[in-house]
Amino acid sequence: MSIVACLEGRSLDPGAELGALLEQAAGDGAVVSFVGIARPVNEDGDQIERLVLEHHPTLTKRSLEEIANAAAQRFGISHVRVVHRCGEIPAGDPIVFAGAASSHRRAAFEAADYLMDRLKTEAILWKREEGPAGSMWIEPADADYRERDRWG
Amino acid sequence: MKITFYGRLADVVGRELELVVEEPCTIARLRHRIAGTFPAAASLLEDRRVRACVMDELVPDDHRVGVTDAVEFLAPVSGG
Repeated sequence: MSIVACLEGRSLDPGAELGALLEQAAGDGAVVSFVGIARPVNEDGDQIERLVLEHHPTLTKRSLEEIANAAAQRFGISHVRVVHRCGEIPAGDPIVFAGAASSHRRAAFEAADYLMDRLKTEAILWKREEGPAGSMWIEPADADYRERDRWG
Repeated sequence: MKITFYGRLADVVGRELELVVEEPCTIARLRHRIAGTFPAAASLLEDRRVRACVMDELVPDDHRVGVTDAVEFLAPVSGG
């Protein structure tokens, strides 16, 4: 089993991350990956130029590791790969890569879903949208907490 | 006592605050005291999603801190 949990300050290449996961997953039967991308328009229709993700010097990385470890144990999957951006992220750029490899597809699908539900609500990051309309902090919606809570 | 704020809290209170504390107190007491000084942050400091951190560990509201401890308050987090 391998567990990768990284915080990236400069760039995130989802293709390279998927490639690395596929390489690790030799012998497995399934790889599922999710890529979160910075949207150019928010839910109010305002243009977004960039996201700014503030992080904590120690707790952020630890939170990514804890979530990745929990997914690996809960679903019995072979490999987990989580890479999260911090800093300034222009609209259109990837924010997060979450991938899981396992013998069969169901565990990999569920692990990727679980990873994202917990990253959305528990990764120790603070997300701000910036655009012509100004700057606004983004916190999880009630629906995000409900999605997380369904895992018990 | 040095207090550091993250996320939305830092916009309201500032990144760092030096607070004179004369005797050890709980995190709950600190929340109350900071809210009194910064009323604009009061509702956020009462939000249970705002967590306190001492020496890189998240601590509950009844955790007691010494007068020279450094405390961090984390606004509600959001990744992904």
